Amino acid sequence: MVNRPFLLGVDIGGTFVDLVRFDLDSGAIAVSKAPSTPDDLTAGIRACLDKSETRLAEVDTLFHGSTMVINTIVERSGARTGLVTTRGFRDVLEIGRGNRPINYDLFYEKPDLLVPRHLRFEVDERLDNTGRELIPVDLAALDAVVAAAGTHGLEAIAICFLHAYANPAHEEEVRAYLQAALPDLFICASNEVVREWREFERSSTTVLNAYVGPRVERYVRRLEEMNAGLGFAGRFYLMQSSGGVMTPARAKRLPVAMVESGPVSGMIGAAHVCQKFAYPLLIGFDMGGTTAKTALIEDGLPSVSPVYYVGGYAHGYPLLSPTVEVVEVGTGGGSMAWIDPTGALKVGPRSAGSEPGPVCVGNGGTEPTVTDANALLGRINTARYLGGEISLDLEGARAAIQSKVAEPFGLDLHQAAAGILTIADSNMSLAVRGITLEKGLDPRDAAMIAFGGGGPLHAMRVARDIGIPKVIVPTYPACFSALGMLLADLRHDLVRTFVRPFPLPDHDQLTALLDQLRAEGRDLLAAAGVAAGDITCAAALDLRYRGQHWTLTTPVADGPLTEENAGAVRAHFNRLYEARYGHSFSHLETEVVNLRVVALGRRRKPAFPALSRRRGGLTPDATRKVYFDGCGFIETPIYLREKLRAGDRIAGPAIVEEADSTTLLFAGDAAEVDEIGFITVHIDGDAK
Amino acid sequence: MMTPKLSLDPITLEVVRNSLIAMVNEMQENLVRTAYSPLAAEVKDFSVSLVDAEGNAIAQARNGLPIFVADLGTTVRAGLAAFADEGFQPGDVIMANDAKTNGQHLNNIAIYTPLFVDGELFAFPAIRSHWIDVGGNVPGSISLTREVFAEGIQFPSLKVYRAGVPDQGILRLIRANTRFPELNMGDMRAQISACRLGERRLAELVSRYGKAVITACVQRIWDDAEALSRDAVAAIPDGEYSAECFLDDDGIDIGRAIPLKVKVIVAGSEMTMDYSEMPPQTVGPYNSRGGGGAETVSRVAFKYLTCPLAPISEGAFRNLSYTVPEGTIISADETAGIGRWSTTIVSTIDLIIKALHPAIPERVKAGDLDNIGSGNFSGQDPRHDRRFLTFMPVLGGWGAKHDRDGLSAVVSLVQGDVHYLPAEVQEHLYPLRVREIALRADSGGPGRQRGGLGTRVVHEALADCEYRAYYDRTLDPPWGLAGGRPGKVTRTTVWAGEEKELPAKCQGYGLAAGHIVTLRSGAGGGYGPPWERDIAAVRDDVLDGYVSSQAAGADYGVVFEAGSLEVDLQATEALRARMKSSGA
Repeated sequence: MVNRPFLLGVDIGGTFVDLVRFDLDSGAIAVSKAPSTPDDLTAGIRACLDKSETRLAEVDTLFHGSTMVINTIVERSGARTGLVTTRGFRDVLEIGRGNRPINYDLFYEKPDLLVPRHLRFEVDERLDNTGRELIPVDLAALDAVVAAAGTHGLEAIAICFLHAYANPAHEEEVRAYLQAALPDLFICASNEVVREWREFERSSTTVLNAYVGPRVERYVRRLEEMNAGLGFAGRFYLMQSSGGVMTPARAKRLPVAMVESGPVSGMIGAAHVCQKFAYPLLIGFDMGGTTAKTALIEDGLPSVSPVYYVGGYAHGYPLLSPTVEVVEVGTGGGSMAWIDPTGALKVGPRSAGSEPGPVCVGNGGTEPTVTDANALLGRINTARYLGGEISLDLEGARAAIQSKVAEPFGLDLHQAAAGILTIADSNMSLAVRGITLEKGLDPRDAAMIAFGGGGPLHAMRVARDIGIPKVIVPTYPACFSALGMLLADLRHDLVRTFVRPFPLPDHDQLTALLDQLRAEGRDLLAAAGVAAGDITCAAALDLRYRGQHWTLTTPVADGPLTEENAGAVRAHFNRLYEARYGHSFSHLETEVVNLRVVALGRRRKPAFPALSRRRGGLTPDATRKVYFDGCGFIETPIYLREKLRAGDRIAGPAIVEEADSTTLLFAGDAAEVDEIGFITVHIDGDAK
Repeated sequence: MMTPKLSLDPITLEVVRNSLIAMVNEMQENLVRTAYSPLAAEVKDFSVSLVDAEGNAIAQARNGLPIFVADLGTTVRAGLAAFADEGFQPGDVIMANDAKTNGQHLNNIAIYTPLFVDGELFAFPAIRSHWIDVGGNVPGSISLTREVFAEGIQFPSLKVYRAGVPDQGILRLIRANTRFPELNMGDMRAQISACRLGERRLAELVSRYGKAVITACVQRIWDDAEALSRDAVAAIPDGEYSAECFLDDDGIDIGRAIPLKVKVIVAGSEMTMDYSEMPPQTVGPYNSRGGGGAETVSRVAFKYLTCPLAPISEGAFRNLSYTVPEGTIISADETAGIGRWSTTIVSTIDLIIKALHPAIPERVKAGDLDNIGSGNFSGQDPRHDRRFLTFMPVLGGWGAKHDRDGLSAVVSLVQGDVHYLPAEVQEHLYPLRVREIALRADSGGPGRQRGGLGTRVVHEALADCEYRAYYDRTLDPPWGLAGGRPGKVTRTTVWAGEEKELPAKCQGYGLAAGHIVTLRSGAGGGYGPPWERDIAAVRDDVLDGYVSSQAAGADYGVVFEAGSLEVDLQATEALRARMKSSGA
């Protein structure tokens, strides 16, 4: 037995703290849950530790994700923040890009200002677009900022100068000056947050970082104290929106990197599966109580977007921080079926949530939901819902669907229930198809991994709908998302805007910049204690045809860029373009816009325990009448997941039940259980 | 809530409805990401639609310019007529921008492709997109012309591809008639590729559900949209509502105002726009006609006033009609200049919204910057010896509403998700230095709710170049409502050794390196009497510099203790009482 045998993941959400513990010796997984404690977030963590009888002293690595950053922004409860800008540009933060994202809405409002105008200060200084100095910094002007910081009780200051992505010198001068004068303030400059052009988006990002900075700094320090107090001596990492983890020291400087840590962790698990099984293209499909989430994983890496809107595109703040592209649709187990003013049947995004929940849960819900439809059609075990904690009230579900859907539309009860599921599945299919097609990928080349409580129940229908041939149901699908956290690597994303024609006459400067980014990434990882051999740096260029505005991130090989391999990068860009848009132009000039490096510190991943093989044949544990479209109720074999063994094969129609989740196979689906207990379902595999 | 209709399986209907919307949004995504011209990528100067075989809008993508609401029908119908004998074949690509049918500036190029089901014409994916240059007498094609013929080349329903084969002659014709052939060809390819995507998606949907089902779903989608529209109009008190304002001039006959007048008749669930008192067509290019004229004005205004958030389809306009005599500024003859059509369109839409203020005061707003005008630089960029032409939307103030201040620094009513180009990008693309992008203090129309602020944008030319601008509403400022005051008007000055006022409309104004152009954009009108504005709100406005302390006294009757932001309540109350009794 190793000294500290546990990996531990703790995720703090709005209502609950979730803990997942993986035993490196036995492969055993334990989970626990406790209410969130907003006043002292560590209290909820300690409750979870106690409940699961986990001693931090036995924990090798602790992973932590939290909704704290996003809540601070959404609730507008961040620090009193000031902003220092180039003279003439203090209003950029307020003006934004001048767009009205919602057509025809006379009552559209821009998001609240995080820094009011009287706390935005202008300084004489100027660089041109190559980073050359035009006007030196007038440091004397900063005394007014220092004075105002006192008058207005500022807790944080963001600095964002024009063209600082090209040359950080002015920002750094100002930062040093202000930090010396105001040692207790959280001060950050745009160049340490993101070195990418577009002053509004960069200002917004820097301001968000400053706005959450003091609070996150205190919070992380508090966690470190708690850990120390409980005898923790392992490694402590915080989840980032990019799907990687970072050290507490880094998190204190770059708190906005944590904004979307929750929804991405399932996709990290999916990415791990993608690598393990060497799928070139995998779609993560996570269906929970109120939403379904889907993300694309190519060659083992979740698709990451360089810009994210905190609070949504129309009403949110842009954040230039790499974020796993998780597309969410308002379709989950609790999604309600309702009739809109035109008499159309809608499913979601209205949700019964966990309170009161679906009608069949018997907690006061009156509106029919997806879960009610599943229960009525025999697709979930009414006696074993949530591992047998509650038995479902089928009569209530029946009455609700009958009166609220079947009767208004003149449908048969079961047609109505099946219809609710068809609409829900179709909404999810469009979302899944959207993420593949948007990138010019064909879903027929993809496999899907289904998790979350509802994922395995709906995945086969969604996959069949859009032609995905294979669905994987991992072990513990309902806590796969939490487990994903334990599989994360350390990650740092570096970017530098460098706009030039590409290929260049010579690539020395480009190579030097890429090397500089790689070195920055290596230094950050080395400081986090990652051994050199575990570090990989993947470089890429954002390229576009000259005159276009959007870019495609095109990978470049390690080592210096030469005339020869630059040509190969150019050709690769053309292929990516062709794949994505159906056409490309080999004769047109291209230009590079940004250089990117993703520095990964690979961690050793826990192995899923192997499953024994069965002697003799597999027989169902029970049968039940389950409704299938076009067939009505069919006596369907039910298998218990815990009794499945490696090599077992199941032909649909069939159901596999386990605590918190149900896998539904349709006629034609062929499932097999692999060595670690994952189920692979070949959609229409029977026919092939 | 209405009783659901029983004729069509509600489940299939819902799946098809969502799929159609997903389809046009996907086409839009494809267009935005492949388009060449910044107008498509950043300005979203396009509309993406699916129209049926008779030109009726089935679905429209969400983020096109608001000016293009359900606007491709007329264009497609003209194509159907033009090719009545020859017909269409799979693989055809049709292109149109002619004034006669489209009635809007020639840069707006419609491209559509026929989709056949079982050998029968079923629908057209269709895209209108602003090409940066289609010839004419200035770069960008839009100038102060007297006739459409000076504004560029017209493509009256041409087949660019026949059965999948490009017509090389037409491609040469397009290339030969533009200053930016690469950009135009790139944009055309992007439009075609997005239409092709639409064809594939629709074909998949039809093969899954069958033509009859899809057709029934579309009928139902239209009926639903109509029901919503009728409910919305029925909620507006019956009556005749009118309003008037004027444009500065047509850019040719300088100083001669152009009075606009609209009448809106609401009767039950029907709304009629009456344009019989709109002015005759102008000599300058402020005209429009056909699908781009009275129809566009009516539909956009109607959308704003009825179901702004509902998806767009033909059915939503069944209870809308309009009457317009021939030869007005929005029903001009086909030779009239139309380059600046949108200036008239946006003013008229704003006017219709104003007209309805007595009927639905809580759902309208005061006047806007009211300007889709723009000030642009063009010339040769010495850094790489290439021609350049800027395109920068104007960000200005919107009118206040009954319960809130107007938006500051946003695009006009007929622009939506249009992005201003960042200074950092401008300085890379153009030989310009951006010296300031700021809010324009004291510009918002005073009111109980204040009008949104305009902007102050300062550019320094780094190379010799030309400037041109087409601003309007500098004489009839953005109006207030319910006692609110007008917002400030647009002003441009140039510094060339000394500061000098530029006319609102100018073209070919020569700038030398070092000259500085300052644009102060128009601002929104206020709502309600200014002396009713919350004193704390006025104080906050002064603290943030949106309103100067002088204006706080003069416009809002709020007086501060000398040298501070402490409100002198006694003096304030006295001043406000005087303002109230004098009505000023």
